[in-house]
Parts: sequence; C-alpha cells; structure tokens
Amino acid sequence: MTAPDPACRLQADGPESTLRLDGSWRLPDAVRCGQALDSVREGLSRVTAIDGAGLSAIDTGGALLAWIRLRTAGVNPATVALRGFDDNHGRIVELVRSRLDQAVGAPPLRPWRVLARLGKASADLGATLLGHLGFFGRVAVNALDLLRRPRSLRRRELFAQFGQTGVNAIPVVVLVTFLIGVVFAYLLGLQAEQYGANIFVVDGVALGMTREFSPLIVATIVAGRSGAAFTAQLGTMKLTEEIDAIRTLGLSPDQVLVMPRVLALMIVLPLLVFVGDVAGLGGAMVIAAAMLDVTPHTFVDRLHAALWPGHYLIGLGKAPFFALAIAIIGCRMGMSVSRDTRSIGINTTSTVVQSIVVVIVLDALFAVLFQRIGW
Amino acid sequence: MTGEVVIEARGVSTRFGRQVVHDRLDLTIHRGDLVALIGGSGTGKSVLLREIIGLHRPDEGTTFLLGTDMWGADERTLAATRRRFGMMFQDGALFSSLDVAANVATPIDEHLDLPPDLLRPLVGLRLSLSGLPPDAGAKLPSQLSGGMRKRAAIARAIALEPEVLFLDEPTSGLDPITARAFDELLTFLNRDLGITVVVVTHDLDTLFGIARRIVVLGNGKVVADGSLAEVTANDDPWIQSYFSSRMTRPAHGT
Repeated sequence: MTAPDPACRLQADGPESTLRLDGSWRLPDAVRCGQALDSVREGLSRVTAIDGAGLSAIDTGGALLAWIRLRTAGVNPATVALRGFDDNHGRIVELVRSRLDQAVGAPPLRPWRVLARLGKASADLGATLLGHLGFFGRVAVNALDLLRRPRSLRRRELFAQFGQTGVNAIPVVVLVTFLIGVVFAYLLGLQAEQYGANIFVVDGVALGMTREFSPLIVATIVAGRSGAAFTAQLGTMKLTEEIDAIRTLGLSPDQVLVMPRVLALMIVLPLLVFVGDVAGLGGAMVIAAAMLDVTPHTFVDRLHAALWPGHYLIGLGKAPFFALAIAIIGCRMGMSVSRDTRSIGINTTSTVVQSIVVVIVLDALFAVLFQRIGW
Repeated sequence: MTGEVVIEARGVSTRFGRQVVHDRLDLTIHRGDLVALIGGSGTGKSVLLREIIGLHRPDEGTTFLLGTDMWGADERTLAATRRRFGMMFQDGALFSSLDVAANVATPIDEHLDLPPDLLRPLVGLRLSLSGLPPDAGAKLPSQLSGGMRKRAAIARAIALEPEVLFLDEPTSGLDPITARAFDELLTFLNRDLGITVVVVTHDLDTLFGIARRIVVLGNGKVVADGSLAEVTANDDPWIQSYFSSRMTRPAHGT
C-alpha cells in the first residue's frame, strides 16, 4: 500500500490562519505527521480552521496528533472550524475532538518509585507474617477440635496426602540424600586419610547426616514439592470457587482441606527423614568401601559404637516442626490467592522461598536450643 | 453489501480426533460489514475465528485475511497483517501483570514509531473510545469488573486502529444493560471508525439490535447467511428453535 506522504501548510488570512492537511494522516505515518506539524510550529497558535480537502486518509491517531499539537500551541480546539473534509474524514476528526479532554486526562503511565515500592514490600511482608500467625492459630483451634471429635478427620484425604507427599517423594529423597552421603563421606575421607584416621569418617557422617543434613535437605525437598503443591492446589480451588462451594455446603475448608494436609505432612516428614538417614549412610558406606578401605561390615560396627541415639532422635524430632511450618505456609498462601491467575504463580513461588527460609531459621534455633541444654 | 473482500475462508475443514467441526466450509466477508457468527455449541465458531486470524491451522483449505493467505504467507507478510486487525478474546486475555494503560500501550509500543507526545493521549483516546473513564488506565485487570475488563480488552484490540475487529462472545457474562452498551460500542466502532466487525455471539439482542449480517454454522457448513429477516425465514430446525423464543414476541427486531 503506497500512501501519499502526510504534509501540512498554513494559509494566512490576516491574523487568522487555516491549517491545510494533505496526504495520508494515519498512525503508521505518525512520525512524518509530527515532522510536518513541527515545520509550521510557529504559526499553529493562530490557527482558527482546519482544511481537510487534500486528505487521502486520516484515522483517529493522525487526527489526535493534529489536535494535540494545536492544543499545546494554545488553541482552543472547540473554536476551530472544519472545512473541506469528506464525510468520513470529518466524522473522525470531529469524534477525536469530542474525546480530546478524556484522552489527555488519562493518568500518566506509571513511573518506577523505589521508595514507595520498598515501603509497600515491607508492609506486605509484615502483613504476610501476621497472617501466618493467624493461620497457625486457626490450625491449632482446628486441631483441638479434632482431638475432641476424632471422627471429623477426613481420612480419605489424609491417606491421599500420605501418598502424594510421602510415598511419591521417596525416590527423589533417596537419590539426593544418597549423593549427599557420598560427597560428604568423600570430603571427610580426604581429611581423615592424611592422619590415617579413616574409620572416623563413620563418626562424622553419622552425626552430620542424621542430626542436620538429612532433616534439612529432606525438608527443603518437601518444601519445594509439597509446599508448592499445597499452594497450587488450594489456589486453583479458590480460583474456581471450589472452596466457596465447600463453605456453602456447610463444611469447613480448614477441616476438609487444611487439616489433612498439615497432619499428613507432620507424620510423613519424619518418615522421609528416616529414609534420608538410611540413604545418606548408605551413600557414605559405598564411598567408604570404595576409597577408604572401610568395609561395610566395619562401617556398621563403628556406626553402632559411634552414633549416639540422641543425634538421630533429634534429627527426627525436628522434622514435625519443619513439616508444620511448611504445611501452614503452603496452605495459607493457597487460601490467600486472589482472583487472578497470576497470583497462583506468585504465591507458589513465595511459598517455596518462605518455607525454605523458615526451615533454616527453625533449624538454627534448634541448634542454639540444644547447645544450651547440652544435647 | 458488496465491496472489497477482507475475510475469506476457502474450503476449510477442521477435525479434532474423529469429530468433524468444519467440512469444506466457505465464507466471505466484505469491508465495513458487521457480521454475527452464531451456531450451537461445538459448531466451531471460535475455532473458525482462530483459523481466520492464524492461531489454529485448518486441516484442509486456507483462510485469507486482508488479502493475506494466513497459512501460506511468509512470516513478514503475516506480521504486517497482524498489525491490521484486532482480536478480543472471550475473557479479555489482558496481561494480568500490567495495568490497563500499559496493556493498551503494548501493541502501540511494539509496532509503531510515534512522536513522544502522542503515546499518552493515544492510550487515553483508546480508553475513551471503548467507554472507560480515564482513571481506569491506572488499574490492574484484577481490579476491574467483568464489563470493564471487556472494555479494556477492546481498547487493546483497537489500539492500532485495526481495519477488522474480531470479538469472541463479547457480551457473555454481562448484565443486559452493560451488554446493550457493548452493542452500541460495536456499532460505533463499525459506523464511525469504519472497522469491519466480526462477532461470535449467543446474545439474541445483539443479533436483533446491531448485526447487519448473520452467519449460522452447523454440520460443519454455513447453514444460513444473510440479513436477520433472511436467516429467520430459513426452515433449518436449529435456527427455528433458536429464534422461536423471540419470534413469538410482537414488534421485536423487525
């Protein structure tokens, strides 16, 4: 499509001038339209009429540009006469003139305000933490209720969650903790070998793996797997109004959806940590046999002697607390999804980040606590 | 009405698995028309729309939009054609992370070179033309009501001053008053801006009120095509039952 170039000129008539528009005044030509108007800028303030006889085409974009330049030059668009336009062109120019105030009155595209964003982010964070606390209270109340009426527990949902959060997680937990055991034993072995103290690798791996690494790593995996899943599941149910439907049917979403997930995760996570303990020690055993001349038989013997039961009981004992934190964050972020799809993505990401941070913070608190009481 | 052909579907066949949606369907639409596309569920109205604008490839046949073969042209020609039509999706499909003004500005920024003082008023003009108040521009799509969201979607669809505007069920889920205002908006865009409008709709009031031409899809073909009077005179059973609820009322839509 070859359109004639846009052009314009001023015809002076005493103190008044007429703006003549020629050629094609359409959006794709906007830059050249702008240049054409620039060339007559000095005279624009005296314009009292527009002549459109020479136009081959005009659209709302081209008309808007002409009106805006006139307005900027100090002309009141309402007083400008239109001459020579054909019906279609005249209608478009007239239409844009009638909408000019609204068009110019639109708020500016949003600027980037650092301080305001920082403030909003801080306030949001505070509100989120308070919300978690409130949700924790709700879960506690529901738990008491459950103790009084154990029959109200949704067993089917509970067992479904056992499967999803527990059984299905075993392969990835085994793989990751096994590899960590391998790497950990190898690094310890490099040091111990220099002193001919290969056998002490067992002491180090047993303590580190069962007390710290396995709980922490398994909790991180579960936060990424199940915490995110909780948020996505509940968030989608919120969006499709399933949660409202549950409430309307006289059921409590907390009882039907939240409690089974919280309980399931608190039961399942210690079990997964135990699986992680075994897999991690297994990995260490393989590397000890292959590189450190510690046979599996010797490894197990040394394990019996060196591993104080308190270590792995502490590791297992931390797991339900991690699980509680992950489940509460996951469920609450899911329940607080707003009604657009974007917020499911945002909340799911947020769940993973929050639960991993909280798990590590809890672990650090436990470390300080146990150190104080001398375990 | 005759004139330049802007949309043409030629021998379009569409199948989903064993289900045949279109069976060698032909359709021609001329510039300046306001066409309503109707048909029962599963007759492939939305699919036909998606085939015309190049989102869904027909199993056979092809579609022409503004002279471009949407399934045979090279990417550059297609890109040039995409700037010349607008599409309003059923639920708006606004970018949820951007406010309304940025949504409207997106195609403009992407495709046009504008004098710097034109962008803001142009966005404002688009909002105004689609019937939104100026302050709606600063809102996120999630903060808008259903009707406002659809208006914002139209504002984005007409951002580049398209020659053809497609709308997929623009009045679904709206109250009758808002829906009628929407019909007026479509008439206005069609009459005052000269935009060819193709609308998929189930809204009888839209058909009676504004459609100049009605195309009925069924059994994979165009069952009826013409003015309201011509289509309602058709003795196809689906068309008869579709219109019967309203035909009994006197003095309506004649």
